[in-house]
Amino acid sequence: MNEIKNATGRSTIRAPQNLAGGLALVAVAALALWQLRDLTAGSLSEMGSALMPRALAVGLGLMGLALAVSAFLRPGLIIERTELHGPVLVLLAIVFFAVTIRPFAIGPVTIPGLGLIISAPVAIVIAGLATPEARFRELVALALGLTPFCMLMFGDLLNLPIPIFPASLIGSFPDGWSQKAVLRITSAVMLAATVVVFVTDRQKSISDQGSEG
Amino acid sequence: MDTLISNLSLGLSVALGLQNLALAFLGCLVGTLIGVLPGVGPVATIAMLLPITFSLDPTGALIMLAGIYYGAQYGGSTTAILVNIPGEATSVVTALDGHAMARRGRAGAALGIAALGSFFAGTVATILIAAMGAPLTRVALLFGPSEYFALMIMGLVFAVVLAGGSLLKAVAMIMLGLLLSTVGTDLETGDQRMTFGQPFLWDGIDFAVLAMGVFGVSEILRNLGQSEDRDVVRGAISRLLPNRKELRQSVAPVVRGTLLGSAFGILPGNGAILAPFASYAVEKKLAKDPSRFGKGAIEGVAGPESANNAGAQTSFIPLLTLGIPANAVMALMVGAMTIHGIIPGPQVMTGNPSLFWGMIASMWIGNLMLLIINLPLVGLWVRLLKVPYRLLFPAILVFCCIGIYSINSQPTDVLLIGLFGSLGFLLIRFGFEPAPMLLGFVLGKLMEENLRRALILSRGSLSTFVTEPISAGLLAVSVILLVIALVPNIRKGRDKVFSE
Repeated sequence: MNEIKNATGRSTIRAPQNLAGGLALVAVAALALWQLRDLTAGSLSEMGSALMPRALAVGLGLMGLALAVSAFLRPGLIIERTELHGPVLVLLAIVFFAVTIRPFAIGPVTIPGLGLIISAPVAIVIAGLATPEARFRELVALALGLTPFCMLMFGDLLNLPIPIFPASLIGSFPDGWSQKAVLRITSAVMLAATVVVFVTDRQKSISDQGSEG
Repeated sequence: MDTLISNLSLGLSVALGLQNLALAFLGCLVGTLIGVLPGVGPVATIAMLLPITFSLDPTGALIMLAGIYYGAQYGGSTTAILVNIPGEATSVVTALDGHAMARRGRAGAALGIAALGSFFAGTVATILIAAMGAPLTRVALLFGPSEYFALMIMGLVFAVVLAGGSLLKAVAMIMLGLLLSTVGTDLETGDQRMTFGQPFLWDGIDFAVLAMGVFGVSEILRNLGQSEDRDVVRGAISRLLPNRKELRQSVAPVVRGTLLGSAFGILPGNGAILAPFASYAVEKKLAKDPSRFGKGAIEGVAGPESANNAGAQTSFIPLLTLGIPANAVMALMVGAMTIHGIIPGPQVMTGNPSLFWGMIASMWIGNLMLLIINLPLVGLWVRLLKVPYRLLFPAILVFCCIGIYSINSQPTDVLLIGLFGSLGFLLIRFGFEPAPMLLGFVLGKLMEENLRRALILSRGSLSTFVTEPISAGLLAVSVILLVIALVPNIRKGRDKVFSE
C-alpha cells in the first residue's frame, strides 16, 4: 500500500486512500463468496445458510467498487507511509504469546507450552522493542516485574485457568509443594531480580551521565 | 410509583449486600486503573477484565462489570483532562476544555466537576432506567421478529448517520461487521460458513476477541508511529472541588447535559456517542461568551461529562428491556450475561427481579463510589500517567493477551486479536471508522435470526415489514433519517459537529 504516491497534481488517481480501501473491500467480498460457494441460499420463505452472508458479500463488493471508482472522480486523501518495523514486532509478540502459553500444534509440529512465566516476559520484551525509544535493560526490568504481578493476580488471586509454568516442569516440583506455593516463591524471586536490574540500570545510567558530562 | 420504589428498594437491598458492595468497589477501582491507561477505552478495558468476573455469581458478576464500565469511562475522562489523550471517542470533547483548565492550574476543579456532574447524571439515569424498565418491557412483549428486525435496521441507520466521515464508508463497515457475524456454524442448518475448515472458527468469532483486536491492539499499532508528546499536568493537584463560582456556572450545563445524554443514550445504534458532542455544541451556543470555549470553560467539561455518563447508563435500557445491545460495551455485557446463563431481554426483569433491580441499584452505587474513589486517588492516576508509553504499551499488550486467553482458554483467540488488530489498523489507514463495523457485528446474528423467523411467518413475503404497523413505522424513521443525512445542507452541519 505504500507504493501509491501522493496524488496531487495530474494523476488520474485522485483519492488513493479510497482506491485502496475499495479494492480491499472487494477482495474481502470475493474471499467470502469463494468460501460460501458450496452453500445454498434457499428461498425467502426458507432461508438457506448462504442467503444473508452472500447478499452481504455482494453488497460489500458493490460498496468497494463504488468507493474505488469514486477515487478517480473525487479528490481525497493519500495513504500515509507506515513504518512497518513497530507493528511487526507487536504482532510477533502476540503470536509468540499465543503459541507458547500452552502446547500448540501446527500441523505435525507441536510447540511446547511454556506457561505465563516465560511467555509473558518474552512477549513484553519483543513488543517493547517495537518503539525506537526502547531501552533493553529497562524492558527486562519491566518484564521481570510485571510477570510475577500477572502470575499472582491472574493465577493465584483470581484462579484463572491459565498455565503458569512450562508444561514439562509441572511434574518436577518438590514433593508436598503445591503449585500455588511454587508460584508465590518464584514470584518473590522474580520481584527481587527486578529490583536488582532496576538498581543496576539506574546506577549505570547515572555513571553514563557522569562520563558524558 | 409505589412499584418503582419497592423495586428500587429490592435492588438496593441486593446491591448493598456486603459482597456486592465490595464487588462494585473493586470493579470501579480496577476499571479506573485500566481505563486511565492512555489509548485504552471502556471496550478494551471490559474485554480485558471480563475473565475476572467468571468465578462470581451472576448478580455479583454483572454488578462488578457495570462498575468496571463506569470506572473505565471515568478513567478515560481523567486521562483526557490530565494528558489530552482521549481514550475513546466520547472523551474527545472533555479533552478540549478539560485539558485547557488543567493547563491553567484548575485540573482539580475539572476532575471534580467531571465526577460531580457524572454522579448527578448517573442518579437521574438510574431513576430513568428504573421508571422506564417496566413499561418498555411491556412494549417489548408486543415485538415480533419483523419488529425486532426493523428496530435493528433503525439502529444500524443511526450508526451510519452518527458516524463521522463518508456515508459510503460507514455503510460498508456495517456490512463488513454483519458479514463477520455470519462466520461459523449456522444454527438453523448446521452448515459451516466461511470457516476455512478451521475448527476454532466453528463457534464463530467471539465479540470480545474482535473488540479487543480492533480497540486494543490496533490502538497500540497506531500509537507506535506517533512520537510521544504527552504533557502530563505538572505539580500537585491542589483542590479537587470546584470553587463556588465554578459550581454555579456548572449547574445548568450539568442538568442540560444529563437530559441530552439520557435521550441520546436510549437511541439504538450507539446514540450515546453523540451526546457529549451535542452537549458541547449546546453549551457553546448558550454561553454569553463563546470564545471562552476551548480555553478552559468549565461548562465545556460539566455538560459533556454529564451527557456522557447519562448516555452510558441509559444505553442499558435497550439491552435490559429488548435484549438488543446498542453499542460495543452492551455487546460485551450480553457476552457476560450469556456466560452466566442469562439471556438478556424482557424476561430478565420478570424472571430474575433481584438480578435486574440489583444491577440497576448498583449503577447508582457505582457512581457514588467513583466519586469517593477518584477524588482521593487522583494523585495515583497522575503518577500512572507519567509512566512513558514505551513501558505502558507492552504491559497493555500482555494484559490483552492474558485477558483474551482466559475467556475461552484458546490460543487461537490470542492469534485472532493480532489479526483483528492489524485489520483495524488497516481500516483506519484507509479512512474507515471501525465503530459501525462492531455494531454490525453485534447485531448480525440477531438480525439474521429475526429475519429468518419473520420470513417464515410471512411465508417468504418481504411485505411483512411494511404491513405490520410497528415495523413499518420503524423502517419509515430509518428512511427519513437516511434521507436527512444525504441532504447536503444537513451533512455540512453534521460535519461541523464532528469537527468541533
